[in-house]
Amino acid sequence: MHDQPALAMAHNRRSFLREGSLGIGSLALAWLLQREQAAASPTKLPIAPPRVDLLPRTPHHPPQAKAMISLFMHGGPSHMDLTDPKPELTRLSGTEYPGDIAYSFVNEASKKLLGSRWSFAKHGQSGTEVSELLPGLAEIVDDVCLLRGMHTGANGHEVSIRYFHGGIPGVLGRPHLASWLLYGLGSETQDLPAYMVLTDPGGLPVDGVTNWSSGFMPPLYQGTVIRPTEPRILNLDPPPHLAGTPQRQNLDLLARLNELHAERFPGQSDLTSRIASYELAARMQTAARDALDISQETKATLAMYGIDEEPTREYGTRCLIARRLVERGVRFVQLFLNGQPWDNHASLPSALPAICKRTDKPAAALVKDLKQRGMLDETIVHWGGEIGRLPVTQNQGGPEKDGRDHNGQGFSIWLAGGGITPGMVYGATDEFGHRAVDGIVTPNDYQATLLHLFGLDVDQLIFPHAGRAEVATAGRSARVVSEILRRPPQA
Amino acid sequence: MCASKPLRPNPDSMTPLTPLRSVVLASLAIALGVAGKPCLGDEPQLFFEEHIRPILKAHCFDCHGATEELEGSLDLRQVRLMQAGGDSGPAIIRGDAETSLLLERVRSGEMPPGDTRISPEELDTLTQWVAAGAATKRPEAETIEPGLGITPEERAFWAFQPLVRPTLSDAAASECSPIDQLLALSSTAASTGDASAAGIPEPADRRTLVLRAFLTLTGLPPTYQDVLRWQADPRDDWLAHLTDELLASPHYGERWARHWLDVAGYADSEGATTADALRPWAWKYRDYVVRAFNDDLPFDRFIAEQLAGDELAGPQQGDWTDEQIRLLTATGFLRMAADGTGSGGDTPEGRNQTIADTVRIVGTSFLGLSVHCAQCHDHRYDPFLHTDYTALRAVFEPALDWQAWKTPSARLISLQTEAERAKAAEIEAEAQKVAAEKEQKQQAFIAEAVEMELAKFEEPLRAQLRAARDTAADARTAEQQALLKSHPSVNVTPGVLYQYLPKAAEELKAFDARIAEIRSTKPAESFVRGLVEPAGHAPETRLFHRGDHAQPKQVVSARPPLVVMPEDAVLTFAHDDSSLPTTGRRLALARWLASTDNPLTSRVIVNRIWMHHFGTGLVATPADFGTLGGRPSHPELLDWLAADFMEHGWSLKHLHRTIMQSAAWQQPRDGGPSHGLPTTLVRLDAEAIRDRMLAITGRLDATLYGPPLPVKEDDTGQTVVDGPQSRRSLYIQQRRSQPVAMLQAFDAPVMETNCEARPISTVATQSLILLNGSYILEQAAVVAERAEALAAAINTTAVPGIEAFTSLLSPTDLSPAAVVAAWRLAYTRDPTPSELAAIASFAREQLTTLRADPSKLVEGRSPPQQVLINICQVLLSSNEFLTIE
Repeated sequence: MHDQPALAMAHNRRSFLREGSLGIGSLALAWLLQREQAAASPTKLPIAPPRVDLLPRTPHHPPQAKAMISLFMHGGPSHMDLTDPKPELTRLSGTEYPGDIAYSFVNEASKKLLGSRWSFAKHGQSGTEVSELLPGLAEIVDDVCLLRGMHTGANGHEVSIRYFHGGIPGVLGRPHLASWLLYGLGSETQDLPAYMVLTDPGGLPVDGVTNWSSGFMPPLYQGTVIRPTEPRILNLDPPPHLAGTPQRQNLDLLARLNELHAERFPGQSDLTSRIASYELAARMQTAARDALDISQETKATLAMYGIDEEPTREYGTRCLIARRLVERGVRFVQLFLNGQPWDNHASLPSALPAICKRTDKPAAALVKDLKQRGMLDETIVHWGGEIGRLPVTQNQGGPEKDGRDHNGQGFSIWLAGGGITPGMVYGATDEFGHRAVDGIVTPNDYQATLLHLFGLDVDQLIFPHAGRAEVATAGRSARVVSEILRRPPQA
Repeated sequence: MCASKPLRPNPDSMTPLTPLRSVVLASLAIALGVAGKPCLGDEPQLFFEEHIRPILKAHCFDCHGATEELEGSLDLRQVRLMQAGGDSGPAIIRGDAETSLLLERVRSGEMPPGDTRISPEELDTLTQWVAAGAATKRPEAETIEPGLGITPEERAFWAFQPLVRPTLSDAAASECSPIDQLLALSSTAASTGDASAAGIPEPADRRTLVLRAFLTLTGLPPTYQDVLRWQADPRDDWLAHLTDELLASPHYGERWARHWLDVAGYADSEGATTADALRPWAWKYRDYVVRAFNDDLPFDRFIAEQLAGDELAGPQQGDWTDEQIRLLTATGFLRMAADGTGSGGDTPEGRNQTIADTVRIVGTSFLGLSVHCAQCHDHRYDPFLHTDYTALRAVFEPALDWQAWKTPSARLISLQTEAERAKAAEIEAEAQKVAAEKEQKQQAFIAEAVEMELAKFEEPLRAQLRAARDTAADARTAEQQALLKSHPSVNVTPGVLYQYLPKAAEELKAFDARIAEIRSTKPAESFVRGLVEPAGHAPETRLFHRGDHAQPKQVVSARPPLVVMPEDAVLTFAHDDSSLPTTGRRLALARWLASTDNPLTSRVIVNRIWMHHFGTGLVATPADFGTLGGRPSHPELLDWLAADFMEHGWSLKHLHRTIMQSAAWQQPRDGGPSHGLPTTLVRLDAEAIRDRMLAITGRLDATLYGPPLPVKEDDTGQTVVDGPQSRRSLYIQQRRSQPVAMLQAFDAPVMETNCEARPISTVATQSLILLNGSYILEQAAVVAERAEALAAAINTTAVPGIEAFTSLLSPTDLSPAAVVAAWRLAYTRDPTPSELAAIASFAREQLTTLRADPSKLVEGRSPPQQVLINICQVLLSSNEFLTIE
């Protein structure tokens, strides 16, 4: 190391005082430690700047899925009332839970076990047990794989949502799994955004627009929102005098001027992103109009999704639009609910059936519809929240006010299609439904598994960022859950 | 130099501290005689303090050390305590990774029970450390205080170190600015060790610099004439003069106030509940901030006024003085958090949430720390304790006491003067006189109507009815009551008088109008939405167990966070400053923030200013200087800027001048070498895009200050400005539940709490707005009109490429001068030959289209007019227009 003659350190009054009058002990130690930390920092990786485009790409290995629809159930669906029957919990309902529990709402916490008030029955050839609250799911159990051993380890909503979307619990600023898919595979369609988000008319989900952020990746990989009411895409339609040829001419001129500008600033991804985004916007005008037009569907299809009745009309419409988008080559569609309707801290007896009624039939219809069109083999459907709920009661204000607090230790989701083994149950929670004890799957495992089905190897899908090689699971332990795959990877 | 190598790189982006600092530190350490002691040698070695404790802190301490209630009697805060173990026996056995209980429990997944699983890498680290003998770096103390405290490793984190101001050599200073010297050193020392090898980058061309200076400092573009003037300026230091001129413009304050309002979480509505009630007086705080920036109010004073303006203002004696009003307005900063307590959310939870949000805003804006992560327990990653959080809350408790709460409307400070009050009373007396007159008149009319009705009855019934009516209601006999009931028409009251005497009603209405008119001359009462601490209210603050206000624990005194104070000089703020009617706690906090004892605030502020110049801060996470935040890319530069800023009286204008004098600021942003600074174009933020369009239409209403422009939903459900669009975006009402569509699309914040840094997105939604949105379509038409008007005065002969253009198009198809005018308006330059060629072929094609299909014409527009409008729209939506070069 060289001396730096041009520089000498001057200390401000505080540091002078510390050294001069307060003794050197702690200060010297702190500085010395800092020096070590500095020397121990990782060196910069020699990685080229990332490419930014949506051209179709060859995956690492043959893919089993081309598209995915995620029905995200914000709030934490109560698995012991829906997908994970617990007779022992029912038997001991009202008695004290013997183990330790981590609560979120300590002020209303109790250890009193709360058995499910709803009955479970076996369905389909697989005999999967499902609650009476989900008659739709009961009809498709032979097509889905129910994962009962999900685990985030964190009870908080945002913490677990970000874990599922971005790969690290609680950390914002990372790309959504869908952004990784786009980065790895490009887009099948050049007419529609490859990653679309369908929001709820009641408002944004918890954690708002960060639910579809591309994090440190360029904005090209971020989700595009389709509004819940008309106009579903704002400013989609040009005014009459520009519609058609004149706007096409305008866009060509704009592209030419932007091109001349970009020649002066080579290699700036934001500029190329904007050029691409204009082209996309133009093509969207016709393609999106067509994709959103559900009047082209038969009466039978509309009825299957519950679009002809309440309370399924709205969610059914969005599920149907999701299918129409995937049909047109959209890679990833995610549906959100407003706020977090599955967050049943109180009034479980009324709130849980209500949200089931809104969503169960449309979700089942989506799987049936994809199957009858031969699309299910290449399309993954995901249903699930970020956490589940506790086996004990919260809010002991009488049976009608019974609720359950958060539980990231064990809960259920289901997956269907795209290489997932149908008619299967994988994983289990303990006899109370509190902790996942068998076939434990974390969000990182979930991400690695989905990427695998798309033909991508999580460790090879690298995005260079700030001198580091980023991967979807952030280098955390992640395993492809081969037990649930039709064609497990060769060892 | 020797150092230990961690087995596991820190997962968060770590910009290595430069060797420069390391060298200096090493020599300092040698000078102090402690070098070479703790951990030397090249083999990887793991220590409890450095490698193990952070893992246990993130996962285990909640139940095993942070509080005095120890699960299973196990305390993991020291290795000796781990060896002693808990109810199940020793947690670790040195050198024995196989049977150490701690590792066994972690391996089996049994521990930790809540929260995140320990990652395999972390488990590896734990295992190797135990196997290697569970080393500590220092001997452990025999006794340990309750709580986690702060370790020397945590204190060693860069952000908590005192500012170190590098002294620059005079010789070098004459050649290049301090910023460039420091940049050159930090980027070249690493590779060559030779500072002089670093070249000073050539500045960008003058037009670019003029544009950059205008847009950065004022958020508005220069005119073409501005550019010509500065291009022709013969002075070497022309840019310094331009900088001064722009800093003196009132638009500078508007621009930089906007940046600060993001941090403060400014909104014109309360949020928190679905009502999202309006905050009718919030805008006065916005105007205060604009004035503060324009006046270059020293930033330390700015901090004090916002945090403790009421304590600085002192009590009201007679009328509020102008200075008192200014100071009270400044405290609007502490009233920016979402607050539903006046709109359906006045619960203990609602009140505490408002306080928590306020503390969060203070933490992120002035300390650059995510203090809110310690609201329920010790911060999992930073050395910021639950008691530190509570100590910060204690600062605000006297003024924001959830147990003695004032709703937003109860906190409004009336600015009415004594004279105004007297005048209002006088006017009210006038009004009362008229009211009495009216009353008299009304009684007369009623009597008249009653007589008319009575005349319809025969005697003796008439006399009986009259007697009943004349008797006071409570003195009437039962017969009289029954009589009146059976003859309702004689029950004439003021409310039904109009049915008997329509003319009387008219006459009485005239009285009402007179009363209203008199009352309207009362002086209008206006308010400030500020924070005033009641005198003599000094409540205690208790730590809330798990953040739950229903579980108060020990009393905590107001003080700065422990980690930013020397261990042996811990400062506590007075519980109740006897020299003030208020407790003085906020004033004390403000003074500490702005003192040289606090290394955070000045770094945080200069980093923010830097970020708004370059697009990225020297620390990429402006509101998080903690473990999970970014590391400074140029630590010496950050410290030098902070120190220089304080030495120059916390003057932001000085800081701007310093930054803009540097070659780093002036270099082209074309991706060239930059000493590790980003040299990419910065997209304009939402307000600047809208304002730039408005400016070049020539219709910008440059009025400063005042109540916000209302917004409305248009027929597609998009929120737009209600009424003329001509004022700057800063003045548009910011209702949390109704973000203006165009601004939101370009990443303007929807204030949930505050906005620490805006993301910059590029999405199809923006493109659709620029292709089809009504705002841009309107502005493009105006710009085209203006270009046509300016064309007459433009001589195009000297513009290269114009000949080829005119050979393709006749001037009646498209005036070349109008095209040049449009370029000068939008880009402040002439079109290039390539651009002219593109325009010519575009215009020929589009004219053919429009002439062939008249349905594509808006009524009253000719094809050439429409073509020019379309060209202007394209300019307004181009990359060149949307970015700062």
